[in-house]
Amino acid sequence: MIKTYFKIAWRNLAKNKKSAIINVAGLALGMAVFILIALWVWDELSFDKYHKNYDDIGQVVQTQTWNGKEESGVAVPFPLGEELRTNYGDQFKYVVMASWEGERVLSYGDKNLSQNGIYIDTDGPAMLTLDILKGSIDGLTDPNSIMLSASTAKAFFGDQDPINQLMKINQQLPVKVTAVYADLPSNTTFANIKFMAPWALYITSESWISYAKTEWGNNSFQAFAQINDHTDFATVSRNIADAKLNRVSDDAKKFNAQLTLHPMRDWHLRNKWENGQVVGGLIEYVNLFSIIGVFVLLLACINFMNLSTARSEKRAKEVGIRKTVGSPRQQLIAQFLSESVLVACIAFLFAVLLAAVLLPWFNQVAGKKLEILWTNGWFWGIGFLFSLLTGLLAGSYPAFYLSSFNPLTVLKGTFRIGRLAGLPRKILVVVQFSVSVALIIGTIVVFRQIRYTKDRPVGYDRDRLMMVEMKTSDFYGKFDVLRTQLKEKGAVEELSESSSPLTAVWSNQGGITWPGKDPALQTDFASIWVTHEFGETVDWQIREGRDFSREFGTDSTAVILNEAAVKFMGVQHPVGTTLTWNNKDYHIVGVVSDLIMDSPFRPVKQTIYFMNYEMVNWINLKLNTQKSTQECIALIEEVFSDVIPNAPFEYQFADDEYAAKFAQEERVGKLATFFAGLAIVISCLGIFGLASFVAEQRTKEIGIRKVVGASIFQLWRLLSTNFVILVLISCFVASPIAYYFLDNWLQNYEYRSTIPWWAFAAAIGGALLITMIIVSLQTVRAARINPVESLRDE
Amino acid sequence: MIELKNIFKWYKVGGNRTFVLKDINLRIAAGEFVSIMGPSGSGKSTLLHILGLLDEPDEGEYIFLDENVLGLKEKQRSALYKQHIGFVFQAYHLIDELTVYENIETPLIYKNFKSGERKAIVAEMLDRFGIVGKKDLFPTQLSGGQQQLVGIARALAIKPRLLLADEPTGNLNSKQGESIMELFKQLNEEDGVTIIQVTHSEKNAEYGNRIIELLDGQLVS
Repeated sequence: MIKTYFKIAWRNLAKNKKSAIINVAGLALGMAVFILIALWVWDELSFDKYHKNYDDIGQVVQTQTWNGKEESGVAVPFPLGEELRTNYGDQFKYVVMASWEGERVLSYGDKNLSQNGIYIDTDGPAMLTLDILKGSIDGLTDPNSIMLSASTAKAFFGDQDPINQLMKINQQLPVKVTAVYADLPSNTTFANIKFMAPWALYITSESWISYAKTEWGNNSFQAFAQINDHTDFATVSRNIADAKLNRVSDDAKKFNAQLTLHPMRDWHLRNKWENGQVVGGLIEYVNLFSIIGVFVLLLACINFMNLSTARSEKRAKEVGIRKTVGSPRQQLIAQFLSESVLVACIAFLFAVLLAAVLLPWFNQVAGKKLEILWTNGWFWGIGFLFSLLTGLLAGSYPAFYLSSFNPLTVLKGTFRIGRLAGLPRKILVVVQFSVSVALIIGTIVVFRQIRYTKDRPVGYDRDRLMMVEMKTSDFYGKFDVLRTQLKEKGAVEELSESSSPLTAVWSNQGGITWPGKDPALQTDFASIWVTHEFGETVDWQIREGRDFSREFGTDSTAVILNEAAVKFMGVQHPVGTTLTWNNKDYHIVGVVSDLIMDSPFRPVKQTIYFMNYEMVNWINLKLNTQKSTQECIALIEEVFSDVIPNAPFEYQFADDEYAAKFAQEERVGKLATFFAGLAIVISCLGIFGLASFVAEQRTKEIGIRKVVGASIFQLWRLLSTNFVILVLISCFVASPIAYYFLDNWLQNYEYRSTIPWWAFAAAIGGALLITMIIVSLQTVRAARINPVESLRDE
Repeated sequence: MIELKNIFKWYKVGGNRTFVLKDINLRIAAGEFVSIMGPSGSGKSTLLHILGLLDEPDEGEYIFLDENVLGLKEKQRSALYKQHIGFVFQAYHLIDELTVYENIETPLIYKNFKSGERKAIVAEMLDRFGIVGKKDLFPTQLSGGQQQLVGIARALAIKPRLLLADEPTGNLNSKQGESIMELFKQLNEEDGVTIIQVTHSEKNAEYGNRIIELLDGQLVS
């Protein structure tokens, strides 16, 4: 019996190929998107769950008050670790201090590789429950040890046993490999950490760190902790809130340092702080996308039901015949249900294939490594259960409604679907088009914001500007040799050194004074140390005064300000003014236009450029414009490997790094485009469903109107007007909603574009155009039917 | 007024042609009242549809008001149709969503009459067919005979020169049928409207002044 049901169902599908394809494709698309979003949401929600102590690990977040504004960050002072261990020890299982993660050069024999790693307390690996493949989890007990990730160990040692091998960090710190751990999966905070070295070693590696041991004012470290059983984060946070404040000097109390323990489960999803409180983060997108996913699926299902039922009037006759030959009602119900379940299951299979095809692209956009759970029974189980449910729901209308009819009325052709059956469809179309229109507007605004910010003048010339980080001490003292040789070979036009890369600010300083300063103003300057030719290398624009120059011996105490700094200080004639910092005087020789080194979405911070050859970490090179980039790179590499043979030659380009600052926004833009495109497709299916339903329903009326003299154009106008009205209603619903949300979104950016009126016009125009095309396809076809066909009396 | 020459109409079933109309030659002069008779499937309705420009023959020539309509473009043909032809159906085919008044008004809208003219014409029709009191009712609220009156009123609103009727009394009882036939006769004699009707009933056929018999797609005479 079941076999017959499916056989007839299959014949019915094959008979109406076009509508079957549209129906299956629509549902499959909705399901595929739902699968992708579900995978993404699952991945985001399971972030960091790899660590077995997931529920108990936290990071100390410090909130301080600057000029009346509360700023939160994870940077904490060195002595905090010991303080928490001794005076708050009963709260914690582990307190673990750590450095920032960063690229360091590891060497084994004459093999040098730059690897991202971290210096961390001995308990770190145990707290993070690293999966030890070789060696011991206590591998960091010896201060001259290192733990490698499996991939790093493989890169250095291949199949050889790495344990007890001797390596060097940054060419200077000798370490012994004590353990190899499985690489952390990509959905963990520490995913990029390829090695861990002891905290004790870190302290001895540089002098400023050992000085920091007792400095409560130097926030340059991270503190992690695992709380004890029988306590919770709120309690611990309450208890440790003043742990720093109690120890700082009276002068520093005005910053009112408050500590909180930020749970691991919130690191990834809830990490946006405002006024000392978590106000959101990625979780907003997770929620938004979850809603969109469910919504897309729901709309696709409803469309599926619509398209199925639009054809049910045609099937009425079949029902009548089946009934007159004695088919019981249950059998009719089973027939209709098995048909729609079959379609839903086919759609699900297509959805999985479609998701698999889209996944690489989706991974790229979302920056993820998601996989379809091919071998997961739950995945298939839930998928088919869901298809069954959708099929049953979609089939229920024709199954129960049509099968209840008296065969005679159906056969006589007087049976008609009620006029009101169109109302839910109309509401559906309005909802779908509202979403589409809002998303089209959203896409336009997101891309405009990106464009607007990209077009913002950066204050220097990014073109062919190369940056090399001086990762090891081998670089020190080689600058003049490099400069002479590189210029001689014609590889570069100019080169210079600086403390931060051109696309970041690594240091901020307070406590700077100048004549006429308002004593209440808490100073806070971005500070960059540069060498003489920095200005020439990056081509900054002098607004007042002059650039640094080798001709002035006094330039070792010269500084250059950006325009934002002049504004911040409120001085009339900056050039010639003297700044005092740490009891040392600096004279201002020039003012430059603001250079965007930090976020392009924020105003440029007040910045001081100091002249110094000691504090620098980066070499900036302006490639020779007469040669190709490839040629220049080859020449530069030659010189570098000659002058500094022990360091791997690694470089970045300023324009690439600058472009990377837009990654987040471009991701939102791409996803918005994707969702907008999707919403349009689904809306089109919705309106297609409604149009075919209406055309079906009004076939007789159209025939009559033709007989009394209506032209095709007049009929098209009659049938299309309603749809245009529906879409216009959608536009009126969508526009204020879109405006509200986009205005909110733009508030995230201090440097932002406006919402242009033409975005609304374009979205509305686009929606109308699409509607007209789809509706016309249906209505013109209906209008062209020869009335002789539709008005047949038999 | 009407001249059909060697009209053929067929359907392809498998590789074979099944003829619906076979070599029809027919002349109908203005002012005639013609009844087409014949058993089911003899091609009566198809002939009527061809005469009414709703359908096209596969072969042959059709001269309507001195024009070879099969050579005309779609637009000209529909203009000709709009101007001169009215249709009446067995199942009335009124638009359920429109009132009696609006149903009669519809063809006038498509002929681009101004609203004032439409009002006058519809009022005249309502008056003439004695359905003024029903003008705001919907078709489903009327009896079959009344619905057919509305159907005829609608067909006549554009003052056609040719009225085509496909079994106009088929769904009516004999009394209602008689009054419709009387009406047709009156229209033909007093207003000079040329009428062609398809009918099964000998009695109804007698109302006309000429009877054409069809059998298996061919004229019998």
